[in-house]
Amino acid sequence: MSETPVLDDIAKRKRYQIMVDALYQDVYRYAYWLCKNGALAEDLVQETFLRAWRSLDSLQNDKAAKAWLFTILRRENARLYERYRPDIVDIEDQTIADSFDNEPDQRMDRKLLHDAIESLDKDYREPLLLQVIGGFSGKEIAEILNLNNNTVMTRLFRARGKLKHVFFPDGEPDKALDEPQYE
Amino acid sequence: MDDLEFRKRAYADPNDQTPEFLAAANATPERLRLLEQLQALNARVLAAANSVAIPEGLAAKLKTVDSNVASITPRHTGAKRYFAIAASLVVAFGLALSPGLFTARPNAADIQFHDDVIGHVRSEVARLDLTRDDVSLSHINSVLEREAGGHLRENELIKQMHIKFANGCNIARSGRGAHIVLDGTKGSISVMVVHNSPVSTTLDVNDSRFTGKIIPFGEGNLIIVGEKDEPLDTYEAMIAEAFEWSI
Repeated sequence: MSETPVLDDIAKRKRYQIMVDALYQDVYRYAYWLCKNGALAEDLVQETFLRAWRSLDSLQNDKAAKAWLFTILRRENARLYERYRPDIVDIEDQTIADSFDNEPDQRMDRKLLHDAIESLDKDYREPLLLQVIGGFSGKEIAEILNLNNNTVMTRLFRARGKLKHVFFPDGEPDKALDEPQYE
Repeated sequence: MDDLEFRKRAYADPNDQTPEFLAAANATPERLRLLEQLQALNARVLAAANSVAIPEGLAAKLKTVDSNVASITPRHTGAKRYFAIAASLVVAFGLALSPGLFTARPNAADIQFHDDVIGHVRSEVARLDLTRDDVSLSHINSVLEREAGGHLRENELIKQMHIKFANGCNIARSGRGAHIVLDGTKGSISVMVVHNSPVSTTLDVNDSRFTGKIIPFGEGNLIIVGEKDEPLDTYEAMIAEAFEWSI
């Protein structure tokens, strides 16, 4: 136990604030894709960071903060919303951030991708977003989702196969996609 | 690495940088072309995923929660979930439907009750802002039992709130109630429980100085009012979770 609790508290706050600044955008985006609703996502993110604050002392390595937060977020989503959330979907143009370099074609492309990602089964969407938004390796995704590595790689493979088919519908379906995958 | 294995790995992670995968990719022009196509797709997925707009002020809000936590350790609850979902529904459907189709509107009695409540808070706030007492939970519960017919269950969250006033008040012409005042981040926060007819729908406080809500709550109404920009959701949830009607 430290003899300077005030300094400990200041250090904890500083550590927490650095974590918020570094990770809140990724955490929010992942929350959004999990629950597909901006208001619920924001609430989920607040709950996640609140729990993170309370348990911050248990986080031994700051490099693991992102995986830790995503794990908390998934657990909170399951606890709060997966079973109870109303059947509302917040799909609106405002969801896609506007910016001056977003040409109409790019926005259309992103809208199509939004729809394509949303249409993926949750089993495929989650590992894909963890990889793309979180930048996690297959092994890290397996730990977050509590799956084995082969299952994760199979789901990533199938998720990209489905998206590729949406965006390159004229191309031949890849024969590798017909191969049975073992989870 | 055979062709099938290469393709599986390329789809699973087109940015795989392991030497054996890169060597396999460079083995034939077809493999390289597939990999480039999958990498381009990945870049588009990344752009789409990252194009989700971040709510304005979210980082500051998360840090504000942090400063609250030190004193009250709030947590979201079933009630909080209810309020969040209700708010989402209002946003989602309120925007989508024309005003004429949205039937959950306050009636005249609701509006009168709202005005009475705000009038009461206005008349009391100057005195309450100066109050620095620390009221015990047993006193709070005696007031709640007497004035509203309920009590707060003792829990860690309630114990950590600094409640500085609890008394019975003529809150509205439609009923007396228990008026509890605690310290917020912007000033005093009033929590009132009135054992009268619940309002027909949750009312947002409409006032130049105060923010808050009047919420139909079991046998009566739960009212929470604070200064503008006071984050009240947490207090709402804490009180709603801890309160039990006795009658």
